Amino acid sequence: MNAIEIRGLSKSFHGMYAVDNLNMTVPVGAIYGFIGENGSGKSTTEKLICGHLVPDKGKIKLFGKDYRDAGVRVRVGALIENAGCFPNSSVWDNLMMQAINLGLENRDEEIRRVLQIVRMESDANIKFKSCSLGMKQRIGIAMALLGDPALLILDEPINGLDADGMRIMREILVDITQKYGCTVLISSHILGELEKIATHYGIIRQGKMICEISAAEMDSRAQVFVSLKTKDMQGAKALLQQKAADVREEDGYLRVYDVNQPEAIVDYLIKNGHVVSEIKKNKIGLEEYYIELMQKKEEA
Amino acid sequence: MTASRELKFESPSFFKRIKGMLGVDFYRLFHTPMFYIFLCIAAFIPALILGTTGMENPDGTVSAQLYTNAWNAIAADTPLYTFNSIGEYANMNMVFIFGGIMVSIFIGHDYKSGYVKQLFTTHAKKQDYMISKSITCAFAMACMCITYLLGSVVSGLLVGLDFTVNAGSLFIAILSKMIMSLGWASLYTFLNVIFRKYFGVSIASSFFFGTGLPIIAIGMIFGDTSGSALNIFLYGSSVNACLSSNMMTLIICIVCSAAWAIIYNLVGTAILSKSDVY
Repeated sequence: MNAIEIRGLSKSFHGMYAVDNLNMTVPVGAIYGFIGENGSGKSTTEKLICGHLVPDKGKIKLFGKDYRDAGVRVRVGALIENAGCFPNSSVWDNLMMQAINLGLENRDEEIRRVLQIVRMESDANIKFKSCSLGMKQRIGIAMALLGDPALLILDEPINGLDADGMRIMREILVDITQKYGCTVLISSHILGELEKIATHYGIIRQGKMICEISAAEMDSRAQVFVSLKTKDMQGAKALLQQKAADVREEDGYLRVYDVNQPEAIVDYLIKNGHVVSEIKKNKIGLEEYYIELMQKKEEA
Repeated sequence: MTASRELKFESPSFFKRIKGMLGVDFYRLFHTPMFYIFLCIAAFIPALILGTTGMENPDGTVSAQLYTNAWNAIAADTPLYTFNSIGEYANMNMVFIFGGIMVSIFIGHDYKSGYVKQLFTTHAKKQDYMISKSITCAFAMACMCITYLLGSVVSGLLVGLDFTVNAGSLFIAILSKMIMSLGWASLYTFLNVIFRKYFGVSIASSFFFGTGLPIIAIGMIFGDTSGSALNIFLYGSSVNACLSSNMMTLIICIVCSAAWAIIYNLVGTAILSKSDVY
């Protein structure tokens, strides 16, 4: 069973398709990184899943049931654009209102539990408007976590956070999936951060899903390359091009792709009179994979 | 290691959903200052009606008193059906004008804060939202009627007005207006759902409809015979409940209020269901 299964979903605004015949599959238990440029349709897709927008056509199933089914919806939590809290009410009151709406039995206990997960136990009485951006994002996640959700939908939860805020958010998300077994759909522009936690990726462009791939699959497909520096970069590049098929100069380094033994490269350069001052073995990351994919689509 | 969990999906019943939604709305009503501010406003309106008329002008003349009987601040002596005596509309009906503004702020904050997204992400349905907001705001307006009543008594005593009245008719008139709060709250909820993207327009439309001008205009177009079913339906208790009310007045108000609530809730739900949340 999949947590989210979308087939042929479309949504237009004033005749322009924001989401165009989109298909999407999010397995249960996954942290699904949803990637795309600004205006590519990520937020619209998330709002459609959450029932905030009415689709033009297409089917959305959550855990095998229609997305409008109240039984499924009660197990969905979301943080879309903002936490959806009343600014003049305290953090506690905002959480209490959502707990009442969900019909939770032990409300006080449940609120303390989610505040502990987002590390805000001591901030319950602060007014929402007095919270920092990072705190507001965490309160949004606490709201979404109330009532034991099976699916969390998070729209850019790490945007605007400082390094420490990002680390805390990352730890919280990993906690949620590992301890509580939640499926998480998360969109973000900060691919480096997403790469650290996501188990699956979906890449959207102009409202269409152009690629869905698991992190393991991406890892096995990822090209290995060696980055190195020499005094004579051009000479070394010409020399290496005779031996290796793909050599590129990027960010002040020579990149030699599809190399399994970096030692052989170093030996080869030394034998031909080049001194290697720096060398490291790398794999193509999510960001490069994404950029390459986008470039291919652009060219196509 | 990822925890495995049992995935159970039990649909909450209509009553459980409504209970949750009403719980949120009442919690919010009692935990924000807005409700208490509007209760105070309602208590202060009769002071303006009864206190400012009859005061001495700067040139030494005294303006005519609008009412000599304090209970006229609650309701007119006889049912009002036409726009020929605007002054006599200055009674407990004013609560419905300010009540409309309160509903606009209450619903507007749902959308402005984004809280409505939290509601609709979970099991809440559009129908639940309409019903819950109508009931909560009706309760708030009924409470405003009570503080208005208290304000009228205090103001009447301070100004030294006459308190002679048929107690039964007065009780029925007040009860009828409180019951009609549900109809008015449903109308305002409907208006605010339509204009949810434009907070200013929501407030303006609530104020405009709260004054009763549109329904008075319709009544004038179709005739102002006091027995006309259309007139009675359009006016509801706003003008029908008066100091000569009887049990029939109460029944008419119950029927009108229920009819307004059902019609506006059904249309509002249909509009919300077919449109995006924001």
